[in-house]
Amino acid sequence: MKKAIIPAIIILVLALVIAVGSQTFLGACVHEDGSFGACHWAARAILGEGALLAVLAALAMALKKERAGLYLAMAPASLLGMLTPGTLIAICGMDTMRCRMLMRPAMLILFGIALLAALVGWLAARKEK
Amino acid sequence: MGTGKLPIKNLLRKPGRTCALVLLTAFLALAVFGGSVVVRSLRGGLNSLEARLGADIIVVPGEMASKVDLKELFLQGTVGEYYMKASALDKVREVEGVEIAAPQTYLTSLKADCCAVKVQIIGIDPGVDFTVKPWIDRSLSRDLGDMELAVGCKVSTGVGENLRIYDRSCRVVAKLAETGTGFDTAVYCNMDTMKTLLAAAEEKGIVHRLTSDNGDRISAIYVKVAPGYDVSDIEVRLAAHVRKTKTVRTRTMITDVSESLAGIARTVSLLAVAVWALAFVVLLIAFAMMIAERRREFAVLRLLGTSRGGLTGLILTETALCSLAGGLLGVGVASLAVFPFTTLIESRLGLPYLTPSTGTVLALAGTTLLVTLLVGAIASAFAAWRLSRVDPGTTLREGA
Repeated sequence: MKKAIIPAIIILVLALVIAVGSQTFLGACVHEDGSFGACHWAARAILGEGALLAVLAALAMALKKERAGLYLAMAPASLLGMLTPGTLIAICGMDTMRCRMLMRPAMLILFGIALLAALVGWLAARKEK
Repeated sequence: MGTGKLPIKNLLRKPGRTCALVLLTAFLALAVFGGSVVVRSLRGGLNSLEARLGADIIVVPGEMASKVDLKELFLQGTVGEYYMKASALDKVREVEGVEIAAPQTYLTSLKADCCAVKVQIIGIDPGVDFTVKPWIDRSLSRDLGDMELAVGCKVSTGVGENLRIYDRSCRVVAKLAETGTGFDTAVYCNMDTMKTLLAAAEEKGIVHRLTSDNGDRISAIYVKVAPGYDVSDIEVRLAAHVRKTKTVRTRTMITDVSESLAGIARTVSLLAVAVWALAFVVLLIAFAMMIAERRREFAVLRLLGTSRGGLTGLILTETALCSLAGGLLGVGVASLAVFPFTTLIESRLGLPYLTPSTGTVLALAGTTLLVTLLVGAIASAFAAWRLSRVDPGTTLREGA
């Protein structure tokens, strides 16, 4: 297996955890009255970003020639994911809310690792050429 | 022959073996650093709670004491609305040995616009308060005015912004320092503001137990006992003198929290020790196996002129590099697992939790790295010493 594929595999796993987690165990707040808060929409956006990252990672695994470019695309996609909860889309105000306690820090870490992996992958893919 | 770059080349030549050693030491560092930070934070939270309570005795309505675990207020931040007549304050002040008695009134918002959860609003009398006011004074050089709020550090509304509670707009004038307790999620106002908010809550059709009494009720009285008086005696006197109330000694409450904390600290410490012992044994075995596997390589180095000391140094350098990488990885992973999730940990443990200062965290990280290096060095030293005793000629002739 080529070394340059390893970051793509890591990103694919992370992206799946992000996409599934944003709707389940790392998801937005659940209100007692069934209403949605702003964090609900942040979680929906994260689902889309996670899915996009998963597709890019899968393509990077399959397409050797385009691998470096795909890694370059994954970096801003990961950055976008890091900025989504709280910066680009508002989340609940109280620090003790689930979206602030769990969703935002978890997404910062997961997307952050994906960003690092994308940069490492880009360097490896350039060497591969 | 110079062996300067040899340790690094050896480590890179066998990436699988190097990764295994790094991961093993990382696991050790993670357990030590993560455990130390959590235990320190719990201790910090307890000290903060102790400092923050300030009072010797708290007098609360009898109904509240029977329905609410008072620790909830201090640890989780919400208790609901329970009131007693304001005349109870005068009765408390009449008791000999009471130095200061400060009232507080509690109200829970339905849904403040900053948050989608209930916010505990605490009304204080700035003239006599000695529990919350010292904390507010750190951020505000004057008393809280009408329709002004001081908010706990975990309420996102910033200073200068407005917070709507029961359709009344209050201006945030101070943000309090972190305490690691439920007070961090509460908002504080003076008694006049509290009366306005209570009236607004009634207008909204929310029935408060205050409606029958002109807003002239309070939820708790914080009592400071005068020097020279026994707190237990004053507690008994208060219980006898002020009817339909319950007295709570803060020391008892702190002791309860302290006992829970001691249990958790014991468990975390035991786990860390177990991980240490396990990692040490595994490292001993790993180094013994690794050196046995590399006997011929070391024998060749000896024949090429490397001294016994040089060989020991080579092994110790390899170990130190692995331990350093593992230590850094472990501290990094533990930091990612602990610091971004402090509120979650606090909420799950149900105990006061105050993250140590940056200096303390750095000192803990440094100590962890040092300990990881030391454990790695001790684990490999024995194997290195044994290897340096072996005759290289015999080793090569044996074909081992």
